[in-house]
Amino acid sequence: MGKYPRWPIHLALLAASFVMLVPFYWVLKTSISGENIFAYPPSIIPRDPNPFYYVDVWYAIPFARFFLNSVVVSVITIVANVVLNAMAGYSLTQRFLGKSAVLMLFLSCMMIPFQTTIIPAYLITGKLGLLDSYLGLALPMFSTIICIFVFKASFDAIPRSLIDAARIDGLSDWNIIWKVMMPLAKSAMATNVILSFIWSWNNFMWPLIATRSADMQTLPLGLARFLSYQEDSTGALYAFCIMVLAPGILLFLLAQREFVQGLTSGAAKG
Amino acid sequence: MRRPHFKLRKSTRKAVLIWSFLAPSLLIFFLYRILPLGWNVLLSFQAWSPMKPAVFIGLENYQEMLFEDEVFWQALWNTIGIIGSAPIGIAIALGLALLVNSDIRGRDIYRTLIFLSYPLMTVAVAIIWRWMFDERVGLINYVARMLDLVDKPIPFLNSFTWALPSVIAANIWQMLGFYMIIILTGLQNIPGNLYEAAAIDGANAFRRFLRITLPLLKPSIFLCFVIGMLNSVTSFDLVYVMTAGGPGHATEILVTYIYKLGFTQTRFDYAAAVTVVFFLLLLGVTFTANRLSGGNAGAVEID
Repeated sequence: MGKYPRWPIHLALLAASFVMLVPFYWVLKTSISGENIFAYPPSIIPRDPNPFYYVDVWYAIPFARFFLNSVVVSVITIVANVVLNAMAGYSLTQRFLGKSAVLMLFLSCMMIPFQTTIIPAYLITGKLGLLDSYLGLALPMFSTIICIFVFKASFDAIPRSLIDAARIDGLSDWNIIWKVMMPLAKSAMATNVILSFIWSWNNFMWPLIATRSADMQTLPLGLARFLSYQEDSTGALYAFCIMVLAPGILLFLLAQREFVQGLTSGAAKG
Repeated sequence: MRRPHFKLRKSTRKAVLIWSFLAPSLLIFFLYRILPLGWNVLLSFQAWSPMKPAVFIGLENYQEMLFEDEVFWQALWNTIGIIGSAPIGIAIALGLALLVNSDIRGRDIYRTLIFLSYPLMTVAVAIIWRWMFDERVGLINYVARMLDLVDKPIPFLNSFTWALPSVIAANIWQMLGFYMIIILTGLQNIPGNLYEAAAIDGANAFRRFLRITLPLLKPSIFLCFVIGMLNSVTSFDLVYVMTAGGPGHATEILVTYIYKLGFTQTRFDYAAAVTVVFFLLLLGVTFTANRLSGGNAGAVEID
């Protein structure tokens, strides 16, 4: 379009980027400063930087255990999500009696946010005997409606002739999904993996409710508990914070395109 | 005679297959969406705790909530405040999306930096902002004191006036990138020839924004609003970690109140009644937003 000065745009965006980044810097700075973190005035650049607080974290909490718990719950969630959602998405591409009722049900379920289910969800999981277990932590997130629709849209785009050909070759529906359709629905799968990873990895409320023993705590829970035990009297809290954030930021920067695509298609579809 | 029989068997087999593919997902949604909704309603009319048998008490829970419980009202207003603050974030995001959508160098980098905060763990974000708002050595107080804006540091998260705005600011900070990306997608879907036609007709940039961009962005904007509200699990994490609902109940929101009622006071029945009201509130706001946006915010293209 026409000619206009670019510097005001850069200025505004630099300011916005600054606001988005400065909080990270402030915590990073605190986590590597060697002095008393409550000294006033606070230093802008860490004086005498050292990794002592990071060492403290390893002694203060079972970081590896929390990390393992988070990984196990996320892996269960992601695998269950891809399998269940792909199956349900495939069903919705077929014609069958009661399809519109199922669609209505899915759409109305989307209107029930998780926060409004916590009391019964706790009681139900208790009745199933799954409180304080990996399965119980992952179960409520086993299937997600948004991702079912993402799969459905992706399957719908596959030419029917290909599926018919596979069927004539004698493939079962199960094999058609996994051998013919899934390789063609890679972007839907990436979307689902990323969304379910973010949801389970960052989830705080459900682990807070459904775990009792210290052994079962996931990273967000460990972080919140660490805060409540130690208050914010030590820089180790901020070192812990950085240790939790670093893998997430790294993953985001590596798979940025997929993240953005996944989150927008997830949102645009529902 | 054999053929129709065979066909029937084949279609039954197909139906069984389809339903067995749907069954696991349906089971999860039944267990964790439908059943909880019904159970909440049932529980809200009862006096019940895990050790005692349930007694039907009609509207007593609701009576207590609406007429005697000041914390409930405080939490309700705070929740409405947080939902009502979303337009501020969306307005800022709209501005940023317009800027990022221009053909300047490095716009992908700006986009990444602004989006970065959204997918991160909210508990960690809450700890970051606790530290930013810290009374003694938080950056915000430090800068305010450097610039002589305040005489003495403001204890943001311990102040009845400042605690809620502080939590809202942190919430907007985290949601900003998400709003921006959604609006950006909407912007990029507006056909460019509309602008060319308007420019030929002599409409200036401001009029073009008002008459073309804004109306065509309406669905994206309301999508932001609805998703932002329904996904505001973030606000539970933020409030729980930043202030735990305090000072007093200054930052109590309905979700944190439900959590406290259920899991620290073991009043599941009363918590269920509060949940029902919370659910109706969300439903009402979504419905209104949907109507205002022209009826298809968050709609799924079924076929």
